[in-house]
Amino acid sequence: MKKYLYAFKFEVMTTLQYAFNFIGKMVSLFLMIFVFMNLWNFMYDDPSQAINGYTKFQMIWYVSISELIYFVTRGRQTCEEISKHIKSGNIAYTINKPYDYVVYTLFTLLGRSFVSSAFYTTFIMIIGSAFTGALPALTMVELLATVLVFALAVTISLLLVIAIGLFSFIFEDSSPMYWIYSKIWLICGTLFPIEFFPVWAQNILKFTPVYVITGPSRLIVNFTVEGFVETLIAQIIYLIFTVGLCELVYRKGMKKLNVNGG
Amino acid sequence: MNIIKVSNLSKTFKVKLKDKGLKGSLKSIFKTKYKEVHAVKNISFEVEEGEMVAFIGPNGAGKSTTIKMLTGILYPDAGEINILGIDPRKDRKKLAYNIGTVFGQKEQLWTHLTPYDNFRFFGAIYDIPNDKIVTKIKEFTELFGLEEFINTPVRNLSLGQRIRCEIVASLIHEPKILFLDEPTIGLDPVVKQNIRSLIKKMNKELNTTVFLTSHDVSDIEKLCKRVIIINNGDIVLDDTMENLKYHYFNKKVIEAKLAADVNVAEIAGVDIEKQKGTNYKLSVDTTITSVAEVLKRLRLENLEDISISSIPLETIISDIYKRKN
Repeated sequence: MKKYLYAFKFEVMTTLQYAFNFIGKMVSLFLMIFVFMNLWNFMYDDPSQAINGYTKFQMIWYVSISELIYFVTRGRQTCEEISKHIKSGNIAYTINKPYDYVVYTLFTLLGRSFVSSAFYTTFIMIIGSAFTGALPALTMVELLATVLVFALAVTISLLLVIAIGLFSFIFEDSSPMYWIYSKIWLICGTLFPIEFFPVWAQNILKFTPVYVITGPSRLIVNFTVEGFVETLIAQIIYLIFTVGLCELVYRKGMKKLNVNGG
Repeated sequence: MNIIKVSNLSKTFKVKLKDKGLKGSLKSIFKTKYKEVHAVKNISFEVEEGEMVAFIGPNGAGKSTTIKMLTGILYPDAGEINILGIDPRKDRKKLAYNIGTVFGQKEQLWTHLTPYDNFRFFGAIYDIPNDKIVTKIKEFTELFGLEEFINTPVRNLSLGQRIRCEIVASLIHEPKILFLDEPTIGLDPVVKQNIRSLIKKMNKELNTTVFLTSHDVSDIEKLCKRVIIINNGDIVLDDTMENLKYHYFNKKVIEAKLAADVNVAEIAGVDIEKQKGTNYKLSVDTTITSVAEVLKRLRLENLEDISISSIPLETIISDIYKRKN
């Protein structure tokens, strides 16, 4: 475990060297939330009105936290990095080190996400408060529970992106897969919470990764113990499933890998 | 004691084929053709503990494929590999703790961090306790002269400094075998010399077995006592460097500037390699004609300048590559 914690720590150190890069990304994060906020301003005639159980205040915070997870994951870039690593054959050189590639990659990505979470969360709290006039009301225990599911949501999201990237072993280019995944995430999780869909669709969506990844967004606007337990159990199941999926694709892929130049 | 044992090792790659032009591209969507490339064909060899072996061959000969199979990066199709009693196919993790690898064209260091941080990281990767790793870094820093740049981010180091750090990173867990794949590629002669001294020092002081591939004949000549030559996937020579040179010792190169021309072509066992007026570069097979006989035929009083040398190792190796082709 020590080696993975070192990978996490060293990625934190590397990311901190480029802390100024976050400023540019904060601008695009601001624009995204601004667009969504205007959309919901248009949808809600009366701020106290609730649409499918969400008030305007809750909706803006829901979207902000969902966007935060999306930005922290940096899915497209991560997926491209893994894909490139596989296509160039460079992934083969990680095999002769005494660590598990999937766990090692996850911990380096978590290191990067840890730093970006700190920057983006502060930023989101500032602009969210500016747009809505207040922070979501959570007790300390509720806040800690939400932070836990937030960390798990980011971890699962990263594992899914790693799995999609690893599919480059099979499809050569996994970016169309990521495109489909990100659009499902955008429509069925970010733009519209699953409560906005018909009951039959909600029952399907509850089994998709979107449900566990957007868990913290739901809890921050409407924390319930049942909701927390349900999300946590679903996240643990997904965590086991995504780790297994990544390991399976990696092991199968490495066996058929031909390294360039020999 | 043999710590590398390879027997009847083979590896075949399936390479995609495509017909020419747009028609070929469209055709390949529906029907993909493959060609089999036999990269390594049934090779066997053994390496003793503490040996420095050069594993060389022309491009595409199968040397990198072999080194990748030995280090567990590629799965062989057939044959047996035994590295320190470990089969790389079955126990790659265990093997990783016992070997070090440097691939000259691949970076393993974190470029944004300093060599010191990198060595700490590699120490953690190989489960070395914190106090031990600090002592080890100190030792290696002194041994390999890294004091000057130990706290400079790797991205700001020169290529030579980086390669030195790459080698140290591969040695941090004190591997018994170090696989070096073109470690001096792209380096200037002074830095190459430094790297060679470092490898020699490591072999002498730590008794590390070195398995080296390089296109640079000087690397091989200055470091290794044994050479294995692979070509088209077959081992075409496995001998000591001494024997290799000895077999070619009966060939000499004479460069002579003559006052008056002599019919050199008539001399048996002598080939004219270059001629410009009365300046000759001759290759002499001393089993047919002795150097003394050639000098006699050239006439001592006719010689304005002369140099006699052995055939360079580079020429010997290229000759072997060509012959076996």
